[in-house]
Amino acid sequence: MTGTALFSPGAMVAPVIGWLNTNAHGLFNAISVAVEASLGLVEAALLVIPAPFMAALIMALVLWRQGRRMALLAAICMAVAGGAGLWVATMQTVALVTTSVVIAVATAFPLGILAARRPRLEAILRPVLDLMQTVPPWVYLIPAVMIFSLGKVPAMLATVIYGIPPMLRITTLAFKGVPRELVELGAASGATPLQTLTKIEIPSARKTLLLGLNQCILLSLAMVVLAGLVGAGGLGAEVTRGLTRMEMGLGLRSGLAIVAVAIFLDRISRKALE
Amino acid sequence: MDQKLWIEAFDTAVDAGMSWLTDHGGAVFDLLRAALEGAFDGLLAGLLLLPFWVLAGAVGLLAARSLGWKAGVAAGLGLALCQAIGLWPETLETLSLVIISVLLAVLVGVPLGVAAGYSPRLTRVLDPVLDLIQTLPPYIYLLPAIAFLGYGPATAIVATFIVAAPPVVRLSALGFRQTPVEFIELAAATGAKPLDAFLKIRVPFALPSVMAGINQSLMMAFGMVVIAGIVGSGGLGETIYGAIRKLDIALSVNAAIAIVILTIIIDRISQSIGPQTKEKA
Repeated sequence: MTGTALFSPGAMVAPVIGWLNTNAHGLFNAISVAVEASLGLVEAALLVIPAPFMAALIMALVLWRQGRRMALLAAICMAVAGGAGLWVATMQTVALVTTSVVIAVATAFPLGILAARRPRLEAILRPVLDLMQTVPPWVYLIPAVMIFSLGKVPAMLATVIYGIPPMLRITTLAFKGVPRELVELGAASGATPLQTLTKIEIPSARKTLLLGLNQCILLSLAMVVLAGLVGAGGLGAEVTRGLTRMEMGLGLRSGLAIVAVAIFLDRISRKALE
Repeated sequence: MDQKLWIEAFDTAVDAGMSWLTDHGGAVFDLLRAALEGAFDGLLAGLLLLPFWVLAGAVGLLAARSLGWKAGVAAGLGLALCQAIGLWPETLETLSLVIISVLLAVLVGVPLGVAAGYSPRLTRVLDPVLDLIQTLPPYIYLLPAIAFLGYGPATAIVATFIVAAPPVVRLSALGFRQTPVEFIELAAATGAKPLDAFLKIRVPFALPSVMAGINQSLMMAFGMVVIAGIVGSGGLGETIYGAIRKLDIALSVNAAIAIVILTIIIDRISQSIGPQTKEKA
């Protein structure tokens, strides 16, 4: 009983996409290649070492930087992922999340600082960011899939775009929260703008920035998992398989692996706050 | 090779466990499913009865009342657009799913939040649970729901309920904890009965926070019901899911537009409809 349509905005968009695909093909191809290359690199790096050694390596890293309790948590989480037979999928998901977060932060961080210093820029950005954070995450996948078809590339692009607003907002908040006196002190002692930034502002804003990073990571994970629906691979694809084929065992295992990854990423990034 | 056997055994055990549960507890799940689907069908039938312009007009009036006439016109036109692009039934389906899920979230979440607001012990128990629910990607909540309730709107409602409840609980608790001390003492000093103190002093101060919780809950719900399209929830989510699978650009764009319109309208209205945060003098 889909109602009779008076008109269809979507039908107007389709030829635009078709035109873009034909004419901007080179550009989209270049983006695709770049994305797949960087993603492939990270994935390969995570998977080249056999699982048990990788797990040990990660545990050692966590132990060194964050202590015994976190290392234990890391061990449990990785045991769950590996024990569920989903190590490869887990690494794929982690690769996707990491690469997306890095790009999102690289974009949002400078923009956020700029917005903190220029109220007019902030005023322009605010409604855009508002809108971006109101729409459901699904909406980002649609244009990405239309242009880049199913696969990892639309997943990563959508995740990057989804991760930018929270990071940007919190960066702006963090830098606006740096006490003016500190910045002026820097200027008074003859620090260059770069020195002021790296030695005064960033350390002062550190806690809030890391909070933003934590948010960005978790939202990106949610998006990456969702993107399993559009061929992004990783744990999201396993969940989708479990759902669509009603394979409860697989569903449970992939669900547990996702819980493990989420808790791991959350705790590690929050611990870095302290 | 060892691991493959272990995984097969695990999967088989899970399937066996599911069978056992369905055999022994099936009635409970069937009842739940029937109740949820009944509520959904009922609400949807009611909404479908109305000509679209009645609903669009009503929402427009609601928006105009709290946001000004321009917003009211925009809201009404937005809904009319959903009709114009031929997705009115799906829009109503999504709306029904959201309404029922958030209603359940509020019915469960507000009392729970109030209790937590009064009891630090309950808060200590609830906080890690709510933290966990809000940390995990929402997509995975479909898994237990579909295991027990199968395909259909009931699954969507349960998964959405899980995602929509934490904001309500947290912000209700916050609201009730925030009553300024002077007013609590005033209540005690005037010898007010607990119920009176609750209704006349606590509730008004808590209301802005509770409304904020409901707004957050609605936003989470919209995100989730669209995701739930994969489990046959009906509505715009299912439309989008089908469209993406077939790479039907036109349909996916139309459905996306409808969702964004619906989300923004409900977001703005629910943000402005309650009493705004009281500024402390």
